[in-house]
Amino acid sequence: MTIAILSGKGGTGKTTLSTNLAGVADNAVLIDCDVEEPNAHLFFRPKLTATKALEVRYPEIDNDLCTHCRKCAEFCRFHAIIAGPKVTLVLKELCHDCGGCFAVCPSGAVSFGSRTIGAIHTCEILDGKTLVYGVLDTGELSGVKIIDEVKHMVEDAPLVLIDSPPGTSCSAVAAVEGADYAVIVSEPTPFGVSDMKMVVELLRTMDIPFGVVVNKSGIGDREIYDYCESEGLTILGEIPFDRDLARGYAEGTPACTMSESYRDMFYGIWTVILDAAEETVNGRS
Amino acid sequence: MKLAFCLTRDAIDAPLDQRFGRAEFYGIVDSETGAFEAFENSAKHASGGAGSKAVQQLVDKGVEAVIAPEVGPQALDALNAFSITAFRQGGCTTVQKALDAFKAGTLEKVEKPGNKGLHRA
Ligand code: SF4
Ligand code: SF4
Repeated sequence: MTIAILSGKGGTGKTTLSTNLAGVADNAVLIDCDVEEPNAHLFFRPKLTATKALEVRYPEIDNDLCTHCRKCAEFCRFHAIIAGPKVTLVLKELCHDCGGCFAVCPSGAVSFGSRTIGAIHTCEILDGKTLVYGVLDTGELSGVKIIDEVKHMVEDAPLVLIDSPPGTSCSAVAAVEGADYAVIVSEPTPFGVSDMKMVVELLRTMDIPFGVVVNKSGIGDREIYDYCESEGLTILGEIPFDRDLARGYAEGTPACTMSESYRDMFYGIWTVILDAAEETVNGRS
Repeated sequence: MKLAFCLTRDAIDAPLDQRFGRAEFYGIVDSETGAFEAFENSAKHASGGAGSKAVQQLVDKGVEAVIAPEVGPQALDALNAFSITAFRQGGCTTVQKALDAFKAGTLEKVEKPGNKGLHRA
């Protein structure tokens, strides 16, 4: 079972929910796919067990062999190659490593080099659970490769919780792709609702069943509840507005480990999520 | 010398565009003959790599210098690889004003911004 946790924008409590669900769910492996700004590990005192660099390939063009036919540049839909009359230039950061330029080059001028774009850390958290998170190097444009690799590393785990990047970027798509179920975390404010609508559209397009957790319930207005009702969205749980919840971040431990009442609250939300996820998965198969 | 400008319309008197990679049009002036041509930027709606596609279009036109609001480090590297010099249009609002400033040598050249570039070994 793979469950992705998403939000319309950053700072809506997505990581608070992800880390607490990881705390209460048996056998959960948490992966932080927000590779531009991973922060789930800050909620724990993680014991690093492995780190690996993530390499990607990019084309290198031998200007002695190149006949400046432009085929590679015309092929590359990421505009990673610029063809001039005397020089054919590769912009490595734009390359998505599809291999197309190599395939279309008629003169064997293309070969591949490789470079590191980030790292993946595996850690032990909360007596025996696992957190895997990717970090994209500053200046790199696409975290998709790292996200794919992080997901690949945990694909045999029975229960995976994905802390996805906020919004509906390519990275968010990569993070939720293949998930059995998704949870959107949103705040009951007008901005929260409008940002959330994009995520709802995305999940519908991707055909991933999902429900909503309202964070900081009790503040803001009713718009989110009205919206969920009109769209027929399930509200899986509510996290009340509570200053102490944020303390987990400062203390390096999720709230569910700090008190029985937090534990019970997150456990309650988790059982609803798990039931909803199992129901849709079973209903589909 | 062929100079490129970022334009909001396909006319020589159009206001300069405030974007480089996503400018609406590019205008090209031959500083010797005064000849002018404008064409639509095919990358203005590109979801990524707009800067790179902009450079490709300028390379295809044989441009030797571009006058732009600002050029990102990656696009600048690409321009330089094709020996195209980039200048900031600064407060200039039209092709004519920017061209005069260029000829007077008062436009600021866009230089490699130290270690902020995207290219690393
Ligand atoms: S490998 Fe694919 S994405 Fe990369 S430069 Fe070649 S064609 Fe473009
Ligand atoms: S396809 Fe090959 S020969 Fe043609 S421009 Fe690209 S690298 Fe050069």
